[in-house]
Amino acid sequence: MSAQQPLDHDKLLAEIDEEVKRRRQSGDIPADLERELDLVFARFAPVDALEADFEQVLTRAEQATFIDVLAPVESSRPVVPYFKKIVRKVVGWYLRYVAQQTTSFAHAVTRAVRLLGERVDALEEASPLAASKEASADPAVLAPWTGFVVERLRGTTGRVLHGESGNGHLVDALVKAGVDAYGVDPSTRDEVAVHLRALPEGSLGALVLSGCVDYLPLGAQLHLADLAGAKLAPGGVVIVVSQDPRAWERAEPNRMADLAPGRPLRSETWRHLLTERGLEGVDVVEGERPTGLQAVPKAHKAMAENIERLNDMLFGPSSYAVVGIRPA
Amino acid sequence: MADAIHQFVPSFVPRDAIGTHVRAVRDLLRGMGIESDVYVRESRGAAKGEARDYLSYQGARPGERTWLLYQLSTGSKMAEHLLARPEPKLVDYHNITPPGFFFPWEAHVGVELDHGRRQIPLLADVTDLAFNDSAFNESELIEVGFRKTVVAPIFVDYASFDQGVDAGLLDRLLTNKRGAHWLFVGRIAPNKCQHEVVKALAAYRRLYDPQARLTLVGGSSSHAYLTAIERYVDALGLEDAVTLTGSIGQPQLAAHFQAADVFVCLSEHEGFCVPLLEAMHNRVPIVAYDATAVPETLGQGGLLLTDKSPVAVASVVARVVGDDGLRDALVVAGQARLADFSTERVRAQWVDAVKSVVG
Repeated sequence: MSAQQPLDHDKLLAEIDEEVKRRRQSGDIPADLERELDLVFARFAPVDALEADFEQVLTRAEQATFIDVLAPVESSRPVVPYFKKIVRKVVGWYLRYVAQQTTSFAHAVTRAVRLLGERVDALEEASPLAASKEASADPAVLAPWTGFVVERLRGTTGRVLHGESGNGHLVDALVKAGVDAYGVDPSTRDEVAVHLRALPEGSLGALVLSGCVDYLPLGAQLHLADLAGAKLAPGGVVIVVSQDPRAWERAEPNRMADLAPGRPLRSETWRHLLTERGLEGVDVVEGERPTGLQAVPKAHKAMAENIERLNDMLFGPSSYAVVGIRPA
Repeated sequence: MADAIHQFVPSFVPRDAIGTHVRAVRDLLRGMGIESDVYVRESRGAAKGEARDYLSYQGARPGERTWLLYQLSTGSKMAEHLLARPEPKLVDYHNITPPGFFFPWEAHVGVELDHGRRQIPLLADVTDLAFNDSAFNESELIEVGFRKTVVAPIFVDYASFDQGVDAGLLDRLLTNKRGAHWLFVGRIAPNKCQHEVVKALAAYRRLYDPQARLTLVGGSSSHAYLTAIERYVDALGLEDAVTLTGSIGQPQLAAHFQAADVFVCLSEHEGFCVPLLEAMHNRVPIVAYDATAVPETLGQGGLLLTDKSPVAVASVVARVVGDDGLRDALVVAGQARLADFSTERVRAQWVDAVKSVVG
């Protein structure tokens, strides 16, 4: 273009955005490049900016208990380093004395916090949340929704998070569609929520929640709804893919239903939760219904109604998706 | 007897952005026949007699109409002192960084900023007129109860760029140039997000130009944040690609601007952002993130991003650097925008605003 042409900023940025999407789609831009850059910086960020991981924070605190009494002596001025060395030597005995006591105190405090942490761990092991370890996303629930999610999020600007990503099938499909997607899989109990908490407000172009929304306890499900409302950028989309609670109950084998600390919510409940958190246009999409009992002629009214009721109970849709948009 | 408007400045450094502005306002007021001196709590590098200790201010002479103009950019005991004085006040608001940016990195700075933000509403009832660098700043004051406000931008010393460039440094920068040269100017501070510029450069080198370099000009407001950036640069293997110059003189700054291919600003919080105007003046195309007062200052004079993910920033910079026509168009747009902040225009805005007070 030439300097004389008026610059259409929006058009230019849209063009560049399209180009980036094409490059992501072709695999030219590594899917995890940005996450990798974030993780490296997190190593040097202060404790407050770390992902709210107790072990990580406590380890930082333990590292900080060592007090270095050898203050740096470098200076851009020529004589100053010698002067600093002399000061360091003169006050060294005093600083060491104070530092030893401070280190002992800090060590005692961090040790006490670690013991406290172990006790909390033990309590957590006995809590319903611990049972989440026995649960994991059932890939069969998400599989029929892959096409729907990809089409709904095609062209999304900004990063897209899938929690819980399981085998990464959905993330792969999104990346192939040119979406800047990445996934979090809960190797620990509430990793999806931990990751979301650490993200800046309004930083996600879209959020897909599946798996964990089925089996987490109610409090954790509500917390995910809160985080969805907070972490989406204006215009961002949240999609919750969940099992229908009735299908969850009748699933075979039913190990998950017995061991999980929570149960899937009804689609209307997610619609309510997301609307309450300020999302707009919240819509429910039902999954396919399995073939049920054959209907009988209307003449047998009581029989027809009972069959309809039975079909709803036994052959209702096994899963649903709830879609909401954060107002621009 | 002439009217008087004396400026009160918590920290006066004649060479920095606010120091330059304070001097320009003083000269403007004196040029209008208004007596004007500068009173400070601390100063560095001020010429003898240029700044006086604020506690030495004796008050208005009998019959003299006097206003005290407080340069509000941080928390200071000076504000409490002024609140207790009987003279009517004026405020020149340059914004105070929200403390949340600093608490994780430098808690004591966060506390000072928090203190400053708490002082702002206290000044509302005693202020006849509040000058603001930007409408963004003005909206903050209106929200906390200031009744009479006006947008009167900060004075920028463009002439200093034309007085000389460090030729040796410029020669070295150009001789060693292998790829695109990114520049950002601003104090190393968490709200300015220099780490995100480093991140974007890392992506740019990976995707577009392995020889690209970045210069971050500016003294540090947070040792912890500065250290984190240095370690981040090392961890990414960018030691030879990223330079943190610290605070430098005007001839060196001019050299960096002349060697730069693009000015990249990913700051989250600016009350105005003088370096954007400096980049325009030095004909450097601008890519900036859409936050706080940045869009207002930038206008159409650069590319404004709503997404600052590293790949998005890298891709936009690649287009700017790789397309000469676009680069020239942005430079021309920058020049046009700069005209809105010319010394003459800013002076006219200030004269009108001052007249509205003194009559």
